[in-house]
Amino acid sequence: MILFDLPTNTDVMAGSALKRLLAEYKQLTLNPPEGIIAGPVDEENFFEWEALIMGPEDTCFEGGVFPARLTFPSDYPLSPPKMKFTCDIFHPNIYSDGRVCISILHAPGDDPMGYETSAERWSPVQSVEKILLSVVSMLAEPNDESAANVDAAKTWRDDRKKFLEIAERTVRKSLGI
Amino acid sequence: MKAVLLTGVSFVLTSIVVGNAYYQKKQFYPSVVYITKSNPSMAMLYIQAFVGVILMGKLMRKIFFGQLRAAEMEHLIERSWYAVTETCLAFTVFRDDFSPRFVALFTLLLFLKCFHWLAEDRVDYMERSPVISVKFHIRVLSLLGLLGMLDLYFINDAYYSTLTKGASVQLVFGFEYAVLLTVVWMTLMKYILHSIDLQNENPWENKAVYLLYTELIIGFIKVVLYIVFMAIMIKVHTFPLFAIRPMYLSLRGFKKALHDVIMSRRAIQNMNTLYPDATAEELQAGDNVCIICREDMLATCKKLPCNHIFHTSCLRSWFQRQQTCPTCRMDVLRMTRAEAAAPQQPPQQQQQPQPQQPQVPQMPQNLFQGFPGMPPMWPNMPQQPQAAPGTSGASSTTTSATAMPSSTAGTSTVGATSTQPTPTTTGTTTVPPIVPPMLPFMMPYGSYAMPRPPRNLAGVSAEELRAMEGQERENVEARLQWLQDIQALLDGAMVLINQYNTVATQTGIAGISAASFPLSQNKSDKKEEMKADSSQNSSQHTNTQGPGLQPTDKTDREDQKLDFSGLEGATGFSPAKEETIPAWEDPHEEEHNDEMHEVRKRRLQKFTQENPSGVKTEHKSQD
Ligand SMILES: [Zn+2]
Ligand SMILES: [Zn+2]
Repeated sequence: MILFDLPTNTDVMAGSALKRLLAEYKQLTLNPPEGIIAGPVDEENFFEWEALIMGPEDTCFEGGVFPARLTFPSDYPLSPPKMKFTCDIFHPNIYSDGRVCISILHAPGDDPMGYETSAERWSPVQSVEKILLSVVSMLAEPNDESAANVDAAKTWRDDRKKFLEIAERTVRKSLGI
Repeated sequence: MKAVLLTGVSFVLTSIVVGNAYYQKKQFYPSVVYITKSNPSMAMLYIQAFVGVILMGKLMRKIFFGQLRAAEMEHLIERSWYAVTETCLAFTVFRDDFSPRFVALFTLLLFLKCFHWLAEDRVDYMERSPVISVKFHIRVLSLLGLLGMLDLYFINDAYYSTLTKGASVQLVFGFEYAVLLTVVWMTLMKYILHSIDLQNENPWENKAVYLLYTELIIGFIKVVLYIVFMAIMIKVHTFPLFAIRPMYLSLRGFKKALHDVIMSRRAIQNMNTLYPDATAEELQAGDNVCIICREDMLATCKKLPCNHIFHTSCLRSWFQRQQTCPTCRMDVLRMTRAEAAAPQQPPQQQQQPQPQQPQVPQMPQNLFQGFPGMPPMWPNMPQQPQAAPGTSGASSTTTSATAMPSSTAGTSTVGATSTQPTPTTTGTTTVPPIVPPMLPFMMPYGSYAMPRPPRNLAGVSAEELRAMEGQERENVEARLQWLQDIQALLDGAMVLINQYNTVATQTGIAGISAASFPLSQNKSDKKEEMKADSSQNSSQHTNTQGPGLQPTDKTDREDQKLDFSGLEGATGFSPAKEETIPAWEDPHEEEHNDEMHEVRKRRLQKFTQENPSGVKTEHKSQD
């Protein structure tokens, strides 16, 4: 994680998407939410972020540290970013390639699962912080009704013990043990 | 490392070839002849030329771009593959012209294309990086200048070659470079716009608009170029298969640009006409930060009907995508329509006490004008689909608004005539095709452009929307009004059916029969109920319905709820109401599904007794 001196808004000339990302980064750095670290991968490109998410306490992912990559569109915040875990994680709402499938990341109008109400969708009122917090709560409470990973959803529903085992392995792997 | 080795090997081999030739022939000219006659030597020289091109490319990349980013590299490789494939396809068309020169020209084209793509990517990157150096500007400008000049040169070359030697493969080159020139233009325009944006401290409001129009114009030029090229190629050679994919892409790009421009224009128009500028006091109150860009609101801002304030420019780009409030997701167009109907409130309220007495000739048509769910058999129906979406919806609501008072002004004698033909309704047996056409109409409009009897809305939205939270009495009143309107609608529908039946019996066509519908025995009950209602005044309604109309906590969505309750009343009255309920696709409405066979009966009760489930379930479906 790169933590460099933040350029303030006044001395940086930037487009509106970039300004908002700068503002959000500043906010996240000054008041980091618990269990979440996030920031640009490269200080020259603010549209690629890296995030580290701690597994929420009292869940099967407790203790794990999961890296993810956020890719912002050039019209952010009008369109949502994409989020992808860069580690292996077995979870009903995470595709096997790591892409996160939660309604907050879907623009109103595109609904891959066909059941989300627009109230939970992306809107400029959302932010990186809210996305990451939603992901944390998604880790804590998988939604097996809208499974991105059908296998994981099935295991979660039918064979909780096995799911917990896999989660534990994921946690250990994420810590490099 | 491998590349360096290969380059070295190629240089060594070339020098061996040249050295060998010179050693054997001792003189320059014979050596050249020897090499050109020897196939292995020529092959070696071609490879050497290829290596030379790559080295040249690396050098230019170093000069103009420095290190390429991973994303740029990926993009470049992906596009190169397509370009190579298309070039191979082009070779098949021009196999007669096939020569080393031809291959060299195509290689050069591919080479230049790569630089155009890289320039595009680099300029797009300007928006993404907070650190843009002077070097960046010099590089981009010189590169764009060089590419533009090369493109012009090759277009010129191709043009004269075609004029003097007739149509040949030069056509393709001329056209390809023309397309590349449009790319240079687009990139240059973007660069200029980004640069101006960078100079400003505040975000430049009109940048997005300029970008949109630039894209539209360049997209149009590209499409024209492709069509002309296609036409010429088909005439001169054959169908240019290799141009299909880029042509499709440019068509798609143009379509998107057109769509964006239209949406943007609509958004701007809506904003200028529908929403007021926020006043200084309004900006002072609240935390004064635009939720879209997270910047302080100092410049011009707009206030939406839901009282949320945003930068004009931020709101415009959001409205280009969708017409909701970014903060509360209120459908703003709809709310604005409601506001447009608001001034009509006072006269309507005065006429409220007797909405049950419709005027026979006007009532039905005017009423159903406001209901997209009505089948096209009604005279006014065809206009409705155009009127409903967009701002023009306001006028449609207004129409029905003005229609209501006139209808409610009817006398009791009219009411008597309207109920008179009741026996004929029960006597005939044909099922009119009401239900099937209804469903497709209801789905699209149910979500955002549902017209409604507007007086309730008038009571609900606008200024009161703010005050509504916590003011339960107003909610109750609003709902009561809705129910009264439902009553009027039901009567109107009744009159319509009766009219139809009278005409039907006169002409010998089978009329609408309540008996032909399932559960029709309830209908006569209902009719009696209606009659009874029409003789009562509204205060009685207040008493009987009051207890059931508890305001919910979701008061800010009041007009939506009321909207649906009103519509439910209308559809619920139509004899085929059982079928209309599933049209809402409501997973929550289990009560209805479970007790489908008692719907009519229960609904009757809802109108006169305390049971509010008709209203409530509809609310649930909206949440
Ligand atoms: Zn703003
Ligand atoms: Zn709002």
